[in-house]
Amino acid sequence: MDEMKRVRLDRMRYTKNSLSSNLALLSIVFNVLYFVSVYESDVGSWYYSLLIGVSIVYNLLFMLMAFLSSEGVKNYRIGYAWFLLALGAGQIARIFILPASAYAATVTIKKITYPVMQTQQFVLVVLWLCLSAACCFGAGVIGVRRSRMLSTYLASLDEKRA
Amino acid sequence: MANISLQHLDKIYDNHVQAVYDFNLEVKDGEFIVLVGPSGCGKSTTLRMVAGLEDISGGRLLLDGEDITAAPAKDRDMAMVFQNYALYGHMTVYENMAFSLTLRKEDPNVIHKKVLAAAEILGLTDQLNKKPKQLSGGQRQRVAMGRAIVRSPKVFLFDEPLSNLDAKLRGATRREILLLHKRLNATMLYVTHDQTEALTLADRIVCMSMGHVQQIGTPLELYDTPSNLFVASFIGLPPMNFFTVKVEGACLACAGFSLALDEKEKALLAPYRGKEIVLGVRPENMAEGGDVCVRVFSNENLGMNTLVHGHIMADNGDKMPITCKLRGWYDFKAGDTVKVAFLKKHFFDQKTTNAIRAKGE
Repeated sequence: MDEMKRVRLDRMRYTKNSLSSNLALLSIVFNVLYFVSVYESDVGSWYYSLLIGVSIVYNLLFMLMAFLSSEGVKNYRIGYAWFLLALGAGQIARIFILPASAYAATVTIKKITYPVMQTQQFVLVVLWLCLSAACCFGAGVIGVRRSRMLSTYLASLDEKRA
Repeated sequence: MANISLQHLDKIYDNHVQAVYDFNLEVKDGEFIVLVGPSGCGKSTTLRMVAGLEDISGGRLLLDGEDITAAPAKDRDMAMVFQNYALYGHMTVYENMAFSLTLRKEDPNVIHKKVLAAAEILGLTDQLNKKPKQLSGGQRQRVAMGRAIVRSPKVFLFDEPLSNLDAKLRGATRREILLLHKRLNATMLYVTHDQTEALTLADRIVCMSMGHVQQIGTPLELYDTPSNLFVASFIGLPPMNFFTVKVEGACLACAGFSLALDEKEKALLAPYRGKEIVLGVRPENMAEGGDVCVRVFSNENLGMNTLVHGHIMADNGDKMPITCKLRGWYDFKAGDTVKVAFLKKHFFDQKTTNAIRAKGE
């Protein structure tokens, strides 16, 4: 192990994993942008569906879990890093639930058919979800990598001491 | 490190109160200077002027020959340690120590090495992940010192860094500062009102009162040859005893006692014959078995020494308070009379309060 790498690893003993933590927080920001954009679809009675209710609850849960995970990965807790990867996968999966359903749906009011979600809005909400997912994946991957590096380094220190 | 030159420094506040008058001092590279004096004497103001935290009203400040009188604090390459530590509560010890270097955008690996080196010097390696609130007062002060060390400044400034610590910690931290100075051989300016700190730490002491420098010298010079009554009374614990006496030819006389003068003292006090002067005697410069009768008021046994508080009874019934530090263990009772001898005397002009010294001393 060269000196630079050793110092970089040693530094991790005293510094937080801010990159992962900040990425996790950024994923929350993109998620907020997502639900602000998606709830603009209020054409007819489609808006008041069970799907929307579940979506609201999930958004709240996602923000809570992402925030807790950001604190976890900040302290190199590998479990939280895996959890962020799962949250990222969840964000991708969501594209095929609410936005896709809304995009495919239409409502007829006074014999005129309207699409629930315009293409422009659909693209926007998918973009927010993708960015949120990318942040979660980034935070998770970096978190797993750094946590492993740190635990290996700490184990080597313990070995030296022993 | 650095030489500092303080030339005719004055500090006048906006409300026209003058805190420092004509302060002159040459600090040599690696020297440990302690500014000492009672509260409000201008010592902290002087230090803050050096740090750049107070504007200099008059005079010049030079660092290694370069005029930094008007330079902002950030450009002076000095690090200051405050009495209240000034640590960031939400940061760990490591982050607190690294903070100033992070602001300078130094390489994180270099910062890491510097922080670890400083922590090693100060014995903080095991505390690096802790927050300040988890540390004792002494440890927090060491963190504050560590934050100064990592910057590798030209000059270290300490503003009463031990005042918030209890007596035991103060002693331990004082020794650490002394070791730190020896290890870094850095130029240090240290402000305190505690004469013990001043005497134990300083290469040279600057004694101040009411904004004026009273004396600059080594700790021994200030203790042994104080330049005036203020320095004589301020340096030394218990403080020096003072008596107004009249110079009468071969002796000093007052209402309570009469002391014979030796040839040297006679020559020194010849200009004061027939006049009143102030006689100063340190409690530790007394011994049992002399001509001065002391009526004991209280007796404190300190182990090696006994501190006797009492009065010299004047002929006219007045009482002159006196404190004697006698070598050995004595059990005097209140009201007992003990005879003491003055082993070393200091003489002061009553009008000017300056020490009376032979020419060339």
